[in-house]
Amino acid sequence: MQRCSVLLPLLLLLLLSDGGGAANALAGETIYMSVLSSRAHAWGKNDYPVIGLFVSSDAGTTWVHRGWREYIRMFYTEAGPDGVLWSACGNGVLRSKDDGATWRITTGSDVTEVMRLCVDKGDARRIVAATAYGPILSTDGGERWRFITEGLPARFSGDIIIDRVNGTLLVATEHGIFVRSAADRMWRRSSMTKDTRTIVQHATEPRVFFAGTEEDGIWRSTDGGRTWKARNEGLGHTTVYALATAPGTSGAVYAATFGGGIYRSDDGGNSWHQRSAGLTVLDCHAVQVLPSAPRTVFAGTLNGGLFISTDAGETWNFNSQADGQVWGLCVRN
Amino acid sequence: MKHLMCSVGCCVLLCVLAPLAGRADGFEQRRDRVLQVAAAEQEYNLMTVLAKLKTRTDLDRAYVVLDSMAHDRAMGGMFFAYSMMGVYLHAHDVLPDTLRVKIREAFRVRTMYRGDTENHWVMYYTGLYLAAQTWPHDPGTAWFNGKSSDENLVEAAGWLNQWMHTTVTIGQGEFDSPTYMTVFLCPMLLLQEFAQDPAMKTKAGMMVDLLLADFAAEHLNGNFGGAHSRDYPDDIVNPLSAPSTMWAWFYFGQPAMEQWNEARYRPRHRGSWETVFAAASSYRIPEIIRHIATNRAQPYVHREKKRVRNVIRFSAVKNPPVYKYTFMSPRYVIGSIQGGILQPIQQHTWDVTFSSTRTHNTLFSLHPFASGKELAMFFPEEQKFLAGEVDRYHLVYTNPGKWNSSSPYEQTFQHRNDLIVLYDIADGVRHPHADGFFPKTLDERVVDPTGWIFARWDSVYVGVFPLSGAAWIEDSICWRWRSTSRRTGWVVEVRSVEEAGTFEAFQRSLRSRTPDAETFMRTGSVAFTTAGGDRMTFAVNGSRNLNGQAVTFKKYPLYDGPWMQAKVGEGVIRLTDGIRTRVLDFTTGEVRER
Repeated sequence: MQRCSVLLPLLLLLLLSDGGGAANALAGETIYMSVLSSRAHAWGKNDYPVIGLFVSSDAGTTWVHRGWREYIRMFYTEAGPDGVLWSACGNGVLRSKDDGATWRITTGSDVTEVMRLCVDKGDARRIVAATAYGPILSTDGGERWRFITEGLPARFSGDIIIDRVNGTLLVATEHGIFVRSAADRMWRRSSMTKDTRTIVQHATEPRVFFAGTEEDGIWRSTDGGRTWKARNEGLGHTTVYALATAPGTSGAVYAATFGGGIYRSDDGGNSWHQRSAGLTVLDCHAVQVLPSAPRTVFAGTLNGGLFISTDAGETWNFNSQADGQVWGLCVRN
Repeated sequence: MKHLMCSVGCCVLLCVLAPLAGRADGFEQRRDRVLQVAAAEQEYNLMTVLAKLKTRTDLDRAYVVLDSMAHDRAMGGMFFAYSMMGVYLHAHDVLPDTLRVKIREAFRVRTMYRGDTENHWVMYYTGLYLAAQTWPHDPGTAWFNGKSSDENLVEAAGWLNQWMHTTVTIGQGEFDSPTYMTVFLCPMLLLQEFAQDPAMKTKAGMMVDLLLADFAAEHLNGNFGGAHSRDYPDDIVNPLSAPSTMWAWFYFGQPAMEQWNEARYRPRHRGSWETVFAAASSYRIPEIIRHIATNRAQPYVHREKKRVRNVIRFSAVKNPPVYKYTFMSPRYVIGSIQGGILQPIQQHTWDVTFSSTRTHNTLFSLHPFASGKELAMFFPEEQKFLAGEVDRYHLVYTNPGKWNSSSPYEQTFQHRNDLIVLYDIADGVRHPHADGFFPKTLDERVVDPTGWIFARWDSVYVGVFPLSGAAWIEDSICWRWRSTSRRTGWVVEVRSVEEAGTFEAFQRSLRSRTPDAETFMRTGSVAFTTAGGDRMTFAVNGSRNLNGQAVTFKKYPLYDGPWMQAKVGEGVIRLTDGIRTRVLDFTTGEVRER
């Protein structure tokens, strides 16, 4: 009874602030939060905070830790269409077929410092990962991996995605963005040549991509990633580590910046406005929109934990992981 | 050549005496002493636990600590992996069944982070190798990483063999580190002791030989001389406080002091007691290596080629070469690497180290560089985030007064016991100054009207000619020379009383060879004639010239000196002391002696 009295107002608050979307989220969406480390985490200290993978199935109201509790340099976790979990970690690409209870490192000693990965939404056995030594690909569910670096001028890759429509790969490198179509064996240079840290495909407009860079702001492509144009009007902080789009052709776009917190665009990425009220840490590394409740947005900070906004970024409240480095966020619906 | 012949001649004489010296060396006593003292320690670490178990001392506490550590999340993955297996294998016979089960279980439920540095990987794969062979045929569900015993053994063996191959062909990445040498030696000692595969066992033993010989050739009475890939500030300014001193004492018998009893030299990692792994080992240092470490009858030049640890971005080359040059003499060492970013965070590019039991027996300069982009060359996280992270662990990275640093604006040119170091610091750099360390323990420090700074340490003289003006800042342990000129540098000459006569004669000689600082400031080029009559010219971002000939690094050997020789790419390292020869042939996995 006492528990109900706590949860009921919270549920009402979510319903009121989010037009009912959060309730839908309670029903079907799962959020995966990868906490790389914590300011409170230091060698030799016995009061280690728990880090690694946290999962929420109730729009961030509660979080459950899954798998390894100690530092394994977990950068990002994503669920495939078949429910298999994949984590990009210092030790390689990890796979869990039991919702995070047990894991297997699917890669060998040659694959290390995996920064990001992406599971093909149309083929759960096709996974790509961005690593410090170049992008890798598996087409058999992680049993075997191979480096796919042909055509890349440098190996380090910070992000990689699979175009959900045609399976084309896009990789973010210090030399810009490179594109590799499903029929091609080579990476082809796009018009984007800046040090790129993140790429995202628009939630509902599949030809539209956004890219965040190291000190060169935000770039947009409307032709599937071949050509790019800078879109920085109003962007006061030009190092962008993550981007997220709300569903709908007029949906908002969010940018997680270093030093400036969260920026939002309401015109498809043409202009930006800082939306950081309530963020106590402005170094952000992750941002994610809840698809079923698009005014609910999560912001992952470096050393400040996770923040949540239920009004499309107008105001933020601390959610969890105080002192945590929230490196990656992913939503599965 | 003349020096080499003298050296060889002395070796002949000393080698005749060597067997006697070996017996009188006292190694077995030192071995017993380490175990005895470490066993009495109450510190919470696996090495003191192993000492207790090996000596059957205070077993109850050893069991309690071991039990606790099997659960303690403060233990890092790779450090835990190899050292826990070391304790398990060395002390298996006295471990209760419950503890054996807990250690085995730890490899199923504990996170074994692999790390991102060479030493991390050596520790991780050594631990995994030993665990996988100890518990063979287990399925993936019995292991933290979901891989079977066979898969883990194959992966670990593959990586370890590749690391050995890389090290003996193009050089070690985390080379010559007074601190981190420990975490290469200990894993190799464990593999040498416990690897069931004879080939792995032999090669691990050869790696111990190589790591110790590499240290021995630049060792001077407990000091690890010359440049270091990774070193901590406390050890840079007080070389005998480094963990390497403990290893020198243990294997070479020098210096003749028990470091843990000397407050002046108490090592930073005193609590770790890694030499317990050496004391518990059946490995015995070949006499030839001990002789290399202690025979300082004649001066010599020792050269080594190493490599930069993996550069993952902002460079076209994964492992750029490092060219190491060290001049060893009975009283001092002066050594350098060529400058530039050769290691992040903890590089120690050059120094003079004096053979002495007084503290702070060193002199050097540096540019305290700090940049997120430098860190991002080696670590995958965001460059704007990295500097703060590194400060969390190493505490000094962004400190303008730090005593360890790489710098893209620092270059050296060394010829025997003369060295030129140049700084040409770009605009906008975080700390646009160069610092020099002159210890207060020097016997004399004289600022001469000619611009030379003359320093004396016992019977060793150092002349430093700064190429720009500077201020003196008094620190607790040193006089800090600080130049805020973007373009600066030092010309350094070191001589002993045997080489230069009196301190006054040394000063007179240098006054007559004063470099032209004005030309350097205008052109970036400096010329200097050494006491031996060699003409060195060196320009910022330009060539190094000796007597009109360009000095190139094209044919730099993996090892070259009177004690060690090896060519790059061969995988065969020859150790010699004039009479004995020990060949470490990694191509065949054999040791040949004659």
